[in-house]
Amino acid sequence: MNERLYVTPYRCIDCKICEQACSLVKSKRPGVPARPRVQSFNVEGDTDFVLLCLQCDEASCQAVCPVDALVRNPVTGAIEVTDRCIECGFCVVACPFGCMDYDPANNEYIKCDVCYGDPACAKYCPTGALVWAERPLSEAEAEQRSAQRTTDPFSVPAGD
Amino acid sequence: MRKVRPTLDDTARMMSETNETVTITIDGRDVEAPAGAYILDVAGELDIDIPSLCAHPGLEPFGACRLCVVEIQKPGWDDWYRQLVTSCLYPVADGLKVWTNSEEVRRNREVVLDLQLARVPKSDVIGDLAREYGVERTSYAERDTDDTCIMCAICVRACDAVGRSAIATLSRGPDKYVDVPDKDACIGCLVCAHLCPTDAIAFVADDNGKRTIWDKQFDLVTDERTGEVLGTPEYLEHVRQRATDRGLRWPDEMKHESAKVKRRTYSSKLARVGRIEEPAE
Ligand code: SF4
Ligand code: FES
Repeated sequence: MNERLYVTPYRCIDCKICEQACSLVKSKRPGVPARPRVQSFNVEGDTDFVLLCLQCDEASCQAVCPVDALVRNPVTGAIEVTDRCIECGFCVVACPFGCMDYDPANNEYIKCDVCYGDPACAKYCPTGALVWAERPLSEAEAEQRSAQRTTDPFSVPAGD
Repeated sequence: MRKVRPTLDDTARMMSETNETVTITIDGRDVEAPAGAYILDVAGELDIDIPSLCAHPGLEPFGACRLCVVEIQKPGWDDWYRQLVTSCLYPVADGLKVWTNSEEVRRNREVVLDLQLARVPKSDVIGDLAREYGVERTSYAERDTDDTCIMCAICVRACDAVGRSAIATLSRGPDKYVDVPDKDACIGCLVCAHLCPTDAIAFVADDNGKRTIWDKQFDLVTDERTGEVLGTPEYLEHVRQRATDRGLRWPDEMKHESAKVKRRTYSSKLARVGRIEEPAE
């Protein structure tokens, strides 16, 4: 599998659909949305961007974890939190991007695991800022995608 | 959360790296298991329920609570002979036979729970488990105490893992207890209190900007942007030390202008979608 989660921050319009999709698929109990693993921001001065775990090669979270609870999935390449976690929160403090988090609703430490190879955020991103593919979208493809989503907001692109 | 077999224990790690599998029989089922895995974890994978209080996948197995006892028989043993072992620290090997819920096993768990009930009469966790095994009242003299510590030492092992080793078991025999002999070593991370299976460690979390555990009071640092509690200054310093020891850059100077981040409505932004400029290649 050569697919990766490609993030193109400048295409983000801060619509927060990725956050909602994430929080719904990661929800454990009905009616209790999980804390999203992806964040979109609007910085004053007209910049929107989306922030997601970079799955660093030399990850700070992995380096500080005292019990080796963060394990890279060889198939997706993503680092996942395993049941070895002792809930010390070191990884949250150590991640320079703020992409490790604690979810009080489910009482667990969370990070993006690219939904084990089927990321919900990318499925519903209307602008192509997040795509799960073998290469990032070209400008034309991204425009086509946002046009399609404007007319049919819940469509899922073919192939996803 | 993905489940993994614990490989912290060095022998288990060495054996599991060879990717060898063995065939064992659990409750009459023949199953394949990775060599060196502990019986408790193999059973967990098969959804066979073995009660356990002192085992945690991230910590070294310790065998303190004795609830996870199972009966085993090694190949070559006489048919009538079985042995009781703690499944949380018994690695599987080829041809091993395991009984997780036989009469002998249940009888032993009963005795353990009977004794624990006398030790910690106020603990709901022990009370519920004991009732499950048909022990309504202890047959020993009850201790007159509100303490619910069952001496499983999960807190001691967790503190070792965290890198502080602040908690220790003190004294010997029936008077043995856990405490923090050196209060300076405690960083107020609350890991011990969260992992304690019987909630025996008292703490006051984040009351009026203060946190108290093991009779030590801590200040708290909060996130400027979200207002969430990040931890105690001692805790943050410990993580910083850990990170710099491992050659990581500490993100002091990387603080982004998070205070200015604010939310905008979807509709006003959607109008701009078409106007995103292509970046120069
Ligand atoms: S919170 Fe869990 S995953 Fe994070 S550093 Fe601590 S043990 Fe490791
Ligand atoms: S879980 Fe094995 S002795 Fe406690």
